[in-house]
Amino acid sequence: MPEKLLEIKDLKVVYKTDENIVHAVNGLNLTLNAGEALGLVGETGAGKTTTALSILKLLPEKIGLIEDGSIKLDNIDITNATDADMRLLRGNTVSMIFQDPMTSLNPIMRVGEQIEEVLLIHHSDMDKKSRDERVDQILQLVGLPPERKYEYPHQFSGGMKQRVVIAIALACEPKLLLADEPTTALDVTIQAQVLALIRQLKEKLNTSMILITHDLGVVAQTCDKVAVMYAGEIIERGTAKDIFESENHHPYTTGLFGSIPDLTKSSKRLNPIKGLMPDPTNLPLGCKFHPRCSKCMDICKTKEPGEVEYGTHMIKCHLYK
Amino acid sequence: MGTPLIETKDLKKYFNTPKGDLHAVDNVNLTINRGQTLGVVGESGCGKSTLGRTILRLLEPTSGEILYEGENILNYDSNKMNKMRQKMQIIFQDPYSSLNPRMTVNEIIAEPIKVCKTIKNKNDINDKVLELMEVVGLAERFVNAYPHELDGGRRQRIGIARALALEPEFIVCDEPVSALDVSIQAQILNLMMDLQDEIGLTYMFITHDLSVVKHISNEIAVMYLGQVVEKAPSDELFNNPLHPYTKALLDAIPIPKLNSNNSLKNIIKGEVTSPINPKPGCRFYTRCPVSKKECIAGNIALKKVSGEHFVACTLF
Repeated sequence: MPEKLLEIKDLKVVYKTDENIVHAVNGLNLTLNAGEALGLVGETGAGKTTTALSILKLLPEKIGLIEDGSIKLDNIDITNATDADMRLLRGNTVSMIFQDPMTSLNPIMRVGEQIEEVLLIHHSDMDKKSRDERVDQILQLVGLPPERKYEYPHQFSGGMKQRVVIAIALACEPKLLLADEPTTALDVTIQAQVLALIRQLKEKLNTSMILITHDLGVVAQTCDKVAVMYAGEIIERGTAKDIFESENHHPYTTGLFGSIPDLTKSSKRLNPIKGLMPDPTNLPLGCKFHPRCSKCMDICKTKEPGEVEYGTHMIKCHLYK
Repeated sequence: MGTPLIETKDLKKYFNTPKGDLHAVDNVNLTINRGQTLGVVGESGCGKSTLGRTILRLLEPTSGEILYEGENILNYDSNKMNKMRQKMQIIFQDPYSSLNPRMTVNEIIAEPIKVCKTIKNKNDINDKVLELMEVVGLAERFVNAYPHELDGGRRQRIGIARALALEPEFIVCDEPVSALDVSIQAQILNLMMDLQDEIGLTYMFITHDLSVVKHISNEIAVMYLGQVVEKAPSDELFNNPLHPYTKALLDAIPIPKLNSNNSLKNIIKGEVTSPINPKPGCRFYTRCPVSKKECIAGNIALKKVSGEHFVACTLF
């Protein structure tokens, strides 16, 4: 039995504002074993980033609230961990790569110093010389010449900045890496380079990874397991094989695949999902996808479907029993 | 094949920068036939948006000609050009910043009509707005809504309705779907293809996403640092890409299938070099896996390889 690194049970997250309550994550269950890469797929507003921020406990103060459920990271229950506890974990056990490399670096710090900062906080016993060595080593690992550590972020291009961000995230060799749309802001040819890098690093360092993306293509290239999110829930989960090759799918997953223009076929029209994501302040009863679903039945409008499992493959839909 | 609606001849747009001339668009020759779609593909900074704006004369070209039904619109004075603009419109990339937040949907869509005075009676304008909203699939109840009340897909529909308000013949679509989610993206692409079938619009479709452009285009031009490096009918380009850059672009698309062996494909190294005072010869030279000495000896023109397939590379 492989070691469980992350276990999320029944997680519910809300954002409270003066006017209303936004139900961002609604009863999410997720486990991740050591060395695995999970792709968390969904559209804008599905709750992907909120899930990642909950794991780091970086939800906006006072507004973002974990209402229910538990998060266990590396056998420690962090649901009620204090800020001080979390500070020891962040960057060390778990770290995050943010979407936009242009804004996630400090513009007035040399990139070498930004990588060193993580070591300074988590490895206070390291001396200056070994820190410098580690910075050089990690820069080489992500494919940047160590001489460039004295430069500032504006001297780097987008793809290279993302490499710096990855270097910072990996400096302490975390057990879990959360990558929130790491390639969305990059051009396709640069995206291919960064994805290849992430793949190599995963193999070399045996880091577990959660890759958040809306691009099923990116998932197919990097992940072992896939979870599809819709309106704050995981509606389908399985190994990459289950999701990409199985016949049975949640109608939403089918819709997602249908929306992607296929390069190998020359059909004239695309088959999009009709309608829009539901308003998270006012979610529909029953299955949250039913107003958009082409296979909607009466039961879908009133009763929330349970999780049905076929081995490793889970689908949350009344069509499957 | 139809008749050419838009042609550019040796079109150039340079920007003056303190470091020298930035060659945003360099010697571009394109033809778009009536009722057809030309896809323009390239990475950020390759000059595709500048090209779109220059063709509409939103930016004044440095040199070259832009022919609309055979007439050079660069010779038009501002009066004549304003008349011309009714025939050519643009849809912008970002539906969040291209709509005035203080105008209602009705006012936004009616504005071009009021500016060009194509319809004078107020009630007729309102009828026209409602008609346009129906065409692009916006419910009538949004007529007095403000843009912030709507989501990205609906906002982009407003942008399309506004572009259609003057019944144009030609629309430049500057990445109209890249700010949208995949399911919404497919809805908007279908809408644009339906409109083309119904009203016979001519599109120039600018995007960085080759998979989007395959669906909607008859012909595709691939741009790299201001130059068109390959131009071919859509199917031909995907089945038989010739330029090393086009091949690299196609290889870089992550395919949503397992075992498609993307990891074994050739990923091109390096990044786009500076378009300021570029050296003569092929601009892809530094990243090209098959570069030779001849590549930087002199400028390389687009060469006809077969039928409608043109490529600028020393290999051919």
